[in-house]
Amino acid sequence: MDTKDTDTNAASSFISPEPVRGADLASLPTNFDEQGRTATGVGLATPLVAEPPLAAKKEKITTPFQDSLNRLRRDKRAMVSLTIIALFVIIPIIGPFIYQHVGGQLIDGLSGKPIGPATYHSPFLQRLDHQDEDPSLTNWLGTDSIGRDTLARLMQGMLISLFVALAVEVVNVVLGIVIGVSAGFFGGWIDQFLARFTDIMFAFPGLLFVILVAGIFGPSLDGPLSKVPVLGANGNARLLIVSVALAFVGWPLMARFVRGQTLQLKEQQFVEAARTSGTSNTRIISRHIIPNLFNIVVVAATLDIANTVIGEAGLSFLGLGVTTPGSSIGLMINDAQNLTEVHPIEVLIPALTLTIIVLAFSFLGDGLRDAFDPRAKD
Amino acid sequence: MVGFFVKRFIGLIFVLLGVTFITFVLGINAPGDPIKNLLGIHYTYDAWVRLRHIYHLDLPWYQQYFNYIVQLLRFNFGDSYYYQETPVIDVIRPGIPVSAELGLWGLLITFLVGIPVGILSALKANTWVDTSAMSISLVLYSLPSFVLAVFFQVIVVQLDKLTKGTWPVSQWGNVWQYTPTDLTHKIGPILVFAAVGFAFIARLTRTTMLEVLRQDYVRTARAKGLKERTVNYRHAFRNAMIPLVTVFGTSLATLVGGVFFIEFVFNIPGIGRIAIDSIGNRDYTVIQATGVIFAIAVVLGNLVADLLYSVVDPRIKVE
Repeated sequence: MDTKDTDTNAASSFISPEPVRGADLASLPTNFDEQGRTATGVGLATPLVAEPPLAAKKEKITTPFQDSLNRLRRDKRAMVSLTIIALFVIIPIIGPFIYQHVGGQLIDGLSGKPIGPATYHSPFLQRLDHQDEDPSLTNWLGTDSIGRDTLARLMQGMLISLFVALAVEVVNVVLGIVIGVSAGFFGGWIDQFLARFTDIMFAFPGLLFVILVAGIFGPSLDGPLSKVPVLGANGNARLLIVSVALAFVGWPLMARFVRGQTLQLKEQQFVEAARTSGTSNTRIISRHIIPNLFNIVVVAATLDIANTVIGEAGLSFLGLGVTTPGSSIGLMINDAQNLTEVHPIEVLIPALTLTIIVLAFSFLGDGLRDAFDPRAKD
Repeated sequence: MVGFFVKRFIGLIFVLLGVTFITFVLGINAPGDPIKNLLGIHYTYDAWVRLRHIYHLDLPWYQQYFNYIVQLLRFNFGDSYYYQETPVIDVIRPGIPVSAELGLWGLLITFLVGIPVGILSALKANTWVDTSAMSISLVLYSLPSFVLAVFFQVIVVQLDKLTKGTWPVSQWGNVWQYTPTDLTHKIGPILVFAAVGFAFIARLTRTTMLEVLRQDYVRTARAKGLKERTVNYRHAFRNAMIPLVTVFGTSLATLVGGVFFIEFVFNIPGIGRIAIDSIGNRDYTVIQATGVIFAIAVVLGNLVADLLYSVVDPRIKVE
């Protein structure tokens, strides 16, 4: 996992030299020489090593954070990704409400009763006389092999992805900061523990650990977990196990980033100054260390969301996450996987959705990194 | 030198203990009672107690763990729950050559294509060659392997419909045999498997190569009037390879993880597929065994990479 990270970091800063291309070179770190040997503007992002302001520079003074935001705003790829991510959040939340009010009444072919859009635009209703339909005005993205509305199921699946991504990321960030800061600031046994634990977790390739946990405990916990209100119903029971397992695998990497950054911050002069003036450890951590972790945590979390979304979809794809009648992007791909010949659209819709979501988070993560830390390279 | 190896070895043992401990804990907490399962309709309480004793399941957990490790060292993973009286190793064995073949060809293509593309990108940095190669590999790298595999299947199946051919998108054919039929089965999965790794290696090669090209000794070599070719390959490329050696170990983990999904999508009877099937069968000992096998493979791969690294780059021993 950490190799993935260093790699995207290093390569992205070459692929997308937006910060350099777009701006006047004098006001920006030049981004080419990793040792920071180029003369001008190196220190502007970090006021600690700031050089005397250039005489030519007459703009109003901006904080490093505003500088970063400006750099991000100039990064077209990141801004497009941000828009897509906003859609990814909005569509599954308000989409179903709108979709279930659009469209007139129609007569159900099997029961002969009239049904409204709230019924036939639900992700669960199977209309067996409308299987594998192409997109139409009734079913905007068509129907699947047992006559369920694809768009409704897709939005439900996106909601699942969103939920898992949020839940896992909250745990990752909290655990990562608490343990990472403790390990970096105090060292000692907690540092040892983190190092060893990370080593062990990295030995499980890819999603293997999550597959093991979900595979062993999933089937038998279906019963009890499906009684959990809201979250457990409708085949989503194993989602809880998958989320816990994904968080369990994810936090060590975050903690490692945080630890590294804390180690650096600890040696900085402002921490030294705070300590000299008698500030307590708690206050140094809460006022001086944690606020400075913001950048690295945001970047790592954004990139990790992509992994989490892949993880949930992958597990559901293998049949270890969301089970039918629930809906997940991975499950939809699996359901349609043997229809590639006659109805390729059914597998392409969820697969493309997943592709777009994952790429958006990866690109935004890259963009954030370039914006917040233009000199960071490995 | 010796100190480094000893230190690395102790670390290895620790990680192996941790990995086996985790799979052990998962195993003993797996639902269902293996003894009840074994007894079936012959279940009586007395028989249950007796068998539990015979199988040492009444021992405290640390003794059970110790026994588990001793058995692992003998490649004994216990008996399958699902296929009665079949040792786990016999359930897994037919999958090993299949997965090995997939992995071997995949890795080979990964490196044989990834490294040249990375070098080319670095030498032509910020031209259209570089930008397009890197954009493609960024997309390939970001996407999960199962989505790539599904896209691949859709394309092949649709093209196949046009040509009225029968290009298969599932099964594997005969292991280590390359008749035309076998090849049509094997090319797809291997390409998908290699695509993910290729992207990773190409990007990494490009980064390290660019870094090396900026070094003073490369400038010196140029200043001496050496041919561009000599500078690039004798001076730059050799040094750029050093980080790649370490990465080999870590990339192994990522690639091995993809095996599960590729075998699942293409319905290839390898270890990954067997593991997924065992989950459906609730065959916990088999799941546990595949977990241990994959994890140990990754740990050993990392170790080999580390040792190679210390051979290639003498500076590492000082640290």
